[in-house]
Amino acid sequence: MRNMRRREAMMIGGAAVLAGRGALAQEPPKPAQIVVNHSGGSMGAAMRKAFFNGFEKKYGIRVVETSPADFGKLRAMVESGNVEWDITEIGGQDAIRATKMNLVEKIDDKIVDRSKYPEKVRTPYVFASSVYTTIIGYRTDVFKNGSQPKSWADWWDVKKFPGARSMRDHPVDNLEFALIADGVPMDKLYPLDMDRAFKKLDQIKPHVSVWWATGQQPAQLLLDKEVVLATGWNGRFYDLIKKGAPIEIEWTQGALKQGSFVIPRGAKNPYWGQKMLAEMSIPQQQAVYATELGYPGLNLEALNYVDAKVKPYLPTQYIDKQFWIDDAWWADNGNKALEAWNAWKLKKA
Amino acid sequence: MSSSTPFSSPVFGGARCFVKVRGFLPALPALILLFCFFLFPVVRMLGFSVEAGTLDWYAKALGEGLYLEVFWNTFEIAMIVTAVCLLLGYPVGFLIATTTPGWATLGFIFVLLPLWTSVLVRTYAWMVLLGRNGVFNRWLIDIGLVSDPLPLLNNFSGVLIGMVHVLLPYMVLPIYGAVRRLDPALVSAAQGLGASSWRVFWRVYLPLTAPGIFAGATIVFVLSLGFFITPALLGGGKVMMLAVLIEQQIHQTLNWPFAAALSAVLLALTVGVYSLAQLFTRQEARS
Amino acid sequence: MASRSADLEVEGLVKRFGEVVALDGVSLDIASGELLTILGPSGSGKTTLLKVVAGFETPDAGAVKVDGIDITTMPPAKRDIGMVFQNYALFPHLTVARNVAFPLEMRNAPRAEIDKRVGEALNLVELKGFENRLPRQLSGGQQQRVALARAIVFNPRLLLLDEPFGALDRKLRETMQLEVRRLQRRLGLTTVFITHDQEEALVLSDRIAVMNRGAIQQVASTTEIYERPANDFVADFVGESNIFHGTVTETGSVTLESGRRLLITHSAPVGSRVGVLMRPERFGRGPNTFNGEIREAVYLGSSLKLRLACDDGLELIVRLPVTGPLPASGSRISTGIEPESIHVF
Repeated sequence: MRNMRRREAMMIGGAAVLAGRGALAQEPPKPAQIVVNHSGGSMGAAMRKAFFNGFEKKYGIRVVETSPADFGKLRAMVESGNVEWDITEIGGQDAIRATKMNLVEKIDDKIVDRSKYPEKVRTPYVFASSVYTTIIGYRTDVFKNGSQPKSWADWWDVKKFPGARSMRDHPVDNLEFALIADGVPMDKLYPLDMDRAFKKLDQIKPHVSVWWATGQQPAQLLLDKEVVLATGWNGRFYDLIKKGAPIEIEWTQGALKQGSFVIPRGAKNPYWGQKMLAEMSIPQQQAVYATELGYPGLNLEALNYVDAKVKPYLPTQYIDKQFWIDDAWWADNGNKALEAWNAWKLKKA
Repeated sequence: MSSSTPFSSPVFGGARCFVKVRGFLPALPALILLFCFFLFPVVRMLGFSVEAGTLDWYAKALGEGLYLEVFWNTFEIAMIVTAVCLLLGYPVGFLIATTTPGWATLGFIFVLLPLWTSVLVRTYAWMVLLGRNGVFNRWLIDIGLVSDPLPLLNNFSGVLIGMVHVLLPYMVLPIYGAVRRLDPALVSAAQGLGASSWRVFWRVYLPLTAPGIFAGATIVFVLSLGFFITPALLGGGKVMMLAVLIEQQIHQTLNWPFAAALSAVLLALTVGVYSLAQLFTRQEARS
Repeated sequence: MASRSADLEVEGLVKRFGEVVALDGVSLDIASGELLTILGPSGSGKTTLLKVVAGFETPDAGAVKVDGIDITTMPPAKRDIGMVFQNYALFPHLTVARNVAFPLEMRNAPRAEIDKRVGEALNLVELKGFENRLPRQLSGGQQQRVALARAIVFNPRLLLLDEPFGALDRKLRETMQLEVRRLQRRLGLTTVFITHDQEEALVLSDRIAVMNRGAIQQVASTTEIYERPANDFVADFVGESNIFHGTVTETGSVTLESGRRLLITHSAPVGSRVGVLMRPERFGRGPNTFNGEIREAVYLGSSLKLRLACDDGLELIVRLPVTGPLPASGSRISTGIEPESIHVF
């Protein structure tokens, strides 16, 4: 009931904005604060520097940050009608599911200017905040002078490239990597042949010493020499490389994904949530963010504002050598794949 | 053990009943609180698991090899952790209970300090200590005890070390309590009657501190069943416990009915173990 | 049961706990088969002495010898000494039979012998039929008997009893005292009994050792202790007493500090300072007469106890046979005592 009324109120509000056309007097009252939920860590710090500080100065609204991004919590909030978050980060498949489950508000293109975004990511309910890729991180003192694995076939070749590896404790990426290693071309991956993928994964299983669960684990494992090769998110490696760690990135055949933000349905300040997304689409601000984390935004003009030294660490430079994860396939098959993954993990080698 | 065991005489039994009814009223606020914040959520969760009007999710939880195996894994790990905690915790609790007050205070600080530190911090500390190039392995190599680093982290031993560290206080404290409650004259009596130290331990200390052992083992076992952070981080993703699976169902697959069914089975298992322990303790007291 | 009863000798035992001297050079000889009571107030060191004998404490100096063999540093388990503790110290998780069997099991006796001996011991303490009870299902007196049976079942060389009847009511205590005495005689067991109750000591003992402040004050037979105490402490601690101090002014006569003269039979040298003890029940007739006013009169059934303020300033406790109605306080009375009833020390 409450949600219904809220939605009606939103529609009426939207109509008022249309009717009043740019009349600032129609702007909803400013709350003292809005809540942005994101995955935390260095990402939060970068967002504060690139977006939140500017937003606070511009509108005089405090930005409260919470973390982590949690789909279960989002669903619980929306279903209980007690929505704490004004905008929240969300995983790619989760964004598709959230849209299907009617958990999120539409992006208002009159407030959020996405005209410079690639057509592919301009979806009605999901704001593409950045792009990241899962690629190979390696220790430069073990693989010197370009002797690192340069494909997933190399990754699987434990004779030529010996040493402990770490991969994510999740089927996403790994099924794709296995199929590529087994000879499937990057543009013919979907629908995934799970049986074939797991069969290929069987070969690498004994050489994976850590199945990582959190994003910061792979870089840390490399730093601690716990492993010499790790799959991981480019920004996490970039962070340690910036600090001078003996780590490098091999970008070939990386798995691209977009970082996404949504406005939960029934959010307390939907208008200011849209305004925050607008702030996050400004190219100059995206350049600041990309320089901090290595995750470029999808406003293609942003690259013009990035330092030349940073550009090699942005996945947008290597899109041709990489492939996009198909969130739709994963949204439909993710549960089945996860169950198969668990069973495969339990299987005695 | 104590004089308040529930089988003195019918007269006292009647009096106890009376006390029970009267004692109920002051407990009411606590009971209401317990109902709202514990019983209600549990019932709600059980409701989730049979939302569809069938027991399909239970059939899945108990019928599929994958989940049965994880149940068994969880059970097995909990048993090993409990056994190791007991082996380490008994001497510690015993020493703290029998040493001088100064040493006892120091011992307490060492036992309790970890309880005041976040589990996450402790888990990361273990990662620093146990890694291939961690403090412990470097030290072993430096003194020449091993030539290659021992695989202490990212496997079962890592999980075991981490869990035992977190849970040890729950074993030490009840054992400490039980040893403290033991009348020192009984030990003197046993010695005076010809018992060697070993026999004093087996014939007097062990049977008389059994309630403490049971209490500690039950707490440790039950807590082990629900462990989550430590196995995920110290096990290198190779040790799968039930809580990890439930977390997946809640946060990733959003299959809440199934998560609820798995939780319900875990809860039933926990209550079962607890009741068994209770039954056993009572029998012990009766015999 | 064949007796292995031994004699016990302690020599110059010293034990300190920090600043506190619990034993200050204690020496005692106890003959085989004898029952010696150590009597003293709490804190006198009697329990420490028992612990040293049993082996639970190691003395700072001195020796404990059994049959002439030094056992000062022998662990308690090897000493073959039966002990009954203040609160019995029965094993709460073991039945009566298992409690009594405990010392035999520790000595790895064969099952059949254990059963036989446990049966005999329970017979001795009249607890046949209670074999399968747990200690908490027994009364205090029954628990006491189990403790006793457990202490004697392995035929120990010595029996130590540490205030064993403290928790029992008066009637039961008296029964148990007689029973212990009977048992001890029958077994001929060398026994050291600790108590702070002087009456108990008088009932039970062959000899009494009175202890105070870590030292033995007097060791003597019960009558000696009562009739001829060695000093003020013993006189005061054992029984009711009227104690005064004075100087022997001529042979057979003492002048007290108050100026009162008493006739005595003691031949202490003229001019020596002495203590004088008059037991309350010894008053009646005699050349030493006392006239005074009754301050308080208590009816005790078999006798009357009076507090008397004498005209010459002495205060006396006097016991007299009941002859008529209770005398009112404030009424006057005259009584006397024979010279031979006055103990001089």
